[in-house]
Amino acid sequence: MSLTQAENVYIAAHEDALNALVEAVCTDRPRLLVYGSPAFVPTTTVQETSMAAIPFPGVAGGIEWRVRLSRPVIDLHPQSVALPPELALAQGGLSIRLGVEICLDCRRLRIDPRPPRPNDDDTKPATHPLREATCCKLEVFAVGGLQRVAAAGGQDAITFRIDGVEIVDVAPEEVERLLECLLFMILQAVLATIRIPLTALRAGAFALALTVGPAIEDDQVKARGI
Amino acid sequence: MSEITAAIDEQAANTLFDTAVGAVGPQSRSGTGNLGPFTASYTVTGTLSNGDVDLIPPGTIRIVDLRLDWQLDLSFGFDLSSFLPDFCLPQVCVNIPCVGRVCTPRICIDWPTVTVPVSFGDFVKATADFGLSITLQGGVWKVEAVVQGVPNLQFGASTAALLVAIGLAATPVLLAIPFIGPFLAVAVNAILVAIGIAGITGFLGPILSPFVSGLRIPVYQQPQQFVVLPAETAVDPQVDIVIDQITAAVAHNAPEDELVLGADISA
Repeated sequence: MSLTQAENVYIAAHEDALNALVEAVCTDRPRLLVYGSPAFVPTTTVQETSMAAIPFPGVAGGIEWRVRLSRPVIDLHPQSVALPPELALAQGGLSIRLGVEICLDCRRLRIDPRPPRPNDDDTKPATHPLREATCCKLEVFAVGGLQRVAAAGGQDAITFRIDGVEIVDVAPEEVERLLECLLFMILQAVLATIRIPLTALRAGAFALALTVGPAIEDDQVKARGI
Repeated sequence: MSEITAAIDEQAANTLFDTAVGAVGPQSRSGTGNLGPFTASYTVTGTLSNGDVDLIPPGTIRIVDLRLDWQLDLSFGFDLSSFLPDFCLPQVCVNIPCVGRVCTPRICIDWPTVTVPVSFGDFVKATADFGLSITLQGGVWKVEAVVQGVPNLQFGASTAALLVAIGLAATPVLLAIPFIGPFLAVAVNAILVAIGIAGITGFLGPILSPFVSGLRIPVYQQPQQFVVLPAETAVDPQVDIVIDQITAAVAHNAPEDELVLGADISA
C-alpha cells in the first residue's frame, strides 16, 4: 500500500516526535503549565501565568491557589504506556500521563468582631504574603484524541481532546470524582492551548492541503492531502 | 523508522519540480568557442522548465523533456587572412647618383578580422537523471536533486537556422568590402553550409550543457533550528525544535513510486 494512497501528499509523526514537539512548547513557554493567584504568581511571566484568587466571603483577597502541571507524555494507539484499569485506549485514540500539583494558601482566618460594613470587598487583591502553602501531588491519566484546530496565524494545527480522566489512589470515591472533574476541566483548557502546526508535524517538508486526517494509527499521527 | 515521514507521489513531485525548476530562474554564461574556422565570443542566457518527473527507486528522479530555452548573443570574427593570401609589395632599390642606393621598405597588407554580431534563440530538451543529496551546512538542512552525468541535449530542427542567421548577418558586412566582398560572402556561406547541423550542435553543445550538467534542484530546505511557533507576546516566546537528521529516498510502495523524506527531531 502506498503511503499517499488516493492522495498526493502524506505526512506521519511518530509519538516520539509528538512528545518532542510538546516538550519544546512546554520548555519554551513554561507558563502554559503553571497557573496561580497573586500570592503564588504575582505577575505573568514566561515562567508562570498569574490569575485571580478565588473570591469567597470573609476571605480577604480570596482563596490563593496554584496549579502546576508536569510536561504531558503522549501515547498514541496502540497502547504502549500502562493505564489504570478504569481507562481504555480506544482505536484511533491517545493517552496522556502527567503530574499535577495543586496548592492552596492556608491562612488562619480571624473573625472580625465589628459589624459587617457595606463596602467590604473580599475580591480585592491580597496584600499579604504567602503564609503556608498546602499542596498535593497527583498522578493523572487521561484518554482522548486529536482535534484539528487553527494555530495562531490561522495555519492548520492539531491539539489534544480529553475524553476521560483518572486519578489513582484517591479516596473516598466522591473526592476522587470531584478532583477528576476539576482536572478534566483544567487539562482540557491547558492542552487546548498547546497547538502543534502541521508544518511542524512534517518538519517543513512538502506543502500539504489537508483532505484526510489527522488520524492516529501505528503510534503515529497520519494525514494526507494534495 | 524516522520520527517524521513525509512522502509525495509522482503527481505531487511534478508540481514540486515545476516550482523548484522555475525558481532557478534565468542564468547567463559567457565565453568563446569555435565554429569551423571561425571564432565566436558569446553570451548565452538559459531558462529551464520542468518536464515529466519519473520516480525510480531506490534513488533516482528522472526528468523527461527537461527544457532549456536559450538566447545566444554571438560576436563572430571572420579573419580575412583565412580567405585571402598575404599581399606584400616587395622591396625596391635604386641607385641614385650622388645619393647612393635607396630602397623602399617591404609593405605587407594585413587583412583585418571582420566582426559580425548575431543573436539567436531556440530551445533544447534533455532527459536527465537526478540523485538525492542531503547536506547540513551553516545550520540549514538541504535536500537537492543533483543531476547525474552530462545529459544528452536534443536539439530541434530549428537549431540549424542559426547557420542561416549567421549567413544573413555576415553577407551584407562582407559584401561591403571593396573588390573582394562578393568573393568573401560566397566563401563564408559555403563554409557555413559545410559546417552543417553536426557542426552547429558541436558548437552549441559545450555552451549549453553546463546549464543542465551542473543542475541542483532544491527539494527541501529548512533551518536545523526549526520554528514551530513564532513569538506571540513578551511572555509567549518563539518555540523551536532541532532537526537532528534528514533522510531522503525514492521508494516503491505499490502501486506508487514515492519521494520520501524522513526527519528525526528533538526539543
